[in-house]
Amino acid sequence: MCGIAAILYKNNVLNAPVGPHLVSMLQSLRHRGSDSTGVTIYSSNNKSNELIIILRITSFKYDKAVLKTNLTQLIQSQGSQIQEFNFTENYIKLIITNIKNIKTLAEQIKSIDNLEIDSIGSNSQVIKDTGDAKDLDNKHHISQISGSHGIGHVRLATESIVDVTHSHPFWAYPFPDITVVHNGQLTNYRSLKRFYESKGHKFQTHNDSELIAVYLADKLANNLSLKEALNQSLVDLDGSYTYLVSTKDGLGFAKEKWSFKPLVLMERKDVIALASEETALRQVFTEEIDRLEPQENEVMTWKI
Amino acid sequence: MINGLMKQLDLTQLDLRNFNSKLKNFAKDGISVSVLHPQAKHNLAVGILNQCQISIEGSVGYYCCSFSDGPNFIINGNSGWGLGSNLMNGSIVVKKNAGASVACSMRNGQVCVYGNAGARAGIAMKGGQLIIGGNSGYLTGYMMQKGKIIICGDVGDAVADSMYEGIIYVGGKISSLGNDAEIGKITTKEIDYIKKTLQNYNINKNADWKKIISSKKLYNYDALEPLEKTKLTI
Repeated sequence: MCGIAAILYKNNVLNAPVGPHLVSMLQSLRHRGSDSTGVTIYSSNNKSNELIIILRITSFKYDKAVLKTNLTQLIQSQGSQIQEFNFTENYIKLIITNIKNIKTLAEQIKSIDNLEIDSIGSNSQVIKDTGDAKDLDNKHHISQISGSHGIGHVRLATESIVDVTHSHPFWAYPFPDITVVHNGQLTNYRSLKRFYESKGHKFQTHNDSELIAVYLADKLANNLSLKEALNQSLVDLDGSYTYLVSTKDGLGFAKEKWSFKPLVLMERKDVIALASEETALRQVFTEEIDRLEPQENEVMTWKI
Repeated sequence: MINGLMKQLDLTQLDLRNFNSKLKNFAKDGISVSVLHPQAKHNLAVGILNQCQISIEGSVGYYCCSFSDGPNFIINGNSGWGLGSNLMNGSIVVKKNAGASVACSMRNGQVCVYGNAGARAGIAMKGGQLIIGGNSGYLTGYMMQKGKIIICGDVGDAVADSMYEGIIYVGGKISSLGNDAEIGKITTKEIDYIKKTLQNYNINKNADWKKIISSKKLYNYDALEPLEKTKLTI
């Protein structure tokens, strides 16, 4: 059991209270899992040629100064410039310009010991940690972040170990801005993982949900629309799943043919919110409006 | 409802355990209760074993009104999964939509959903009646053992899958029948019965009613009563 939630402000509103809404939605879903909590938030205050990179240090033994020099050298050797370098506890937020090849850059960063990439994107950042949504907010100040849209997840681990690397959202390495949160289990995970590995994809974790992110990103890279990719996933992915996917300028969900995992949504002229349970939607909508429960084999997408 | 005997319980001021025990005590004295600000919380109003009126002013979460025996519930909003699970007697009316597994393992009484119901509505029903004003989802009436389901709208795939006994009436389209289910012959007496039942809930629906029953080919028991071997009619 896991809890998923998403919110999207329409009409290109770029400074909406996405952070605080996600925190209150995820906190009300706390009973669905509190092993770890994570969000992806899409903010607007970013120039078009910049990339935001979120890195996480997995070991206690590291030298801040050495790591900073190593990273700076590595990024400059790729011909890119660092505009911002923020160290907070074991997280690093980088803003860089002039990126030539995201895949090579990601592989280079991965080659540094004890360093994980949480996300790379032009306007997105993945923030995830162990504990519930309140813990996440206290540590990373999510409720101060505004943006256009975002997704979130509370985890009750079933498929792989409880740590930050294996917590959601999963970034679709190495495709920028695509992240996925998933409630359920994939049963054909191993065969599909082998297939994508043979195509040259590198998986960062042993979690089945990461596959959905890579799968969708691969489909989008092959010029399928988000809706087409989601529809195709209903055929290709086996198991129980309701997942949310967010891209640079939109989000969507897919629910498998058994209708095993819950999802409800509420839509107003200016905003759309989705969550595992209605109690989370009530954190966003105080007025009485119609609630929709998607059924089996259902796919929907929205744009900002 | 008699106003003098009606109490109010506000869920912004009570935690779940306190709320349920207070509600249970009011029900023991036959006092009608109005529940404010349910905020789609889970496990509300469960295990109420006396006759009384309980109206919930808003949406409820999972397993609401479960394990109850006697009360008449009105939910002025939506309901989450597993509404009225194992209901022994009494009635539940949902003014909007219900989630998956509505009236699961229900034993007696009436459940009426004015809007749509999710997947697996009436799963393992063991008696009573489930009325759905709108559409119903995948695997409706799965492993149903007794009772009736009336669906005014359309019904999803695999309806009445592995059903033992009981009847499902569908007013709209049937997406597909489940294993061991078949369309039975409907009589005018049954259509009158559906109309009267729906009139009780102020639903006027003129439709080409279809009746789904079990084919009983999955029956593998050799100790059936003679009556059990004939197909169920009203």
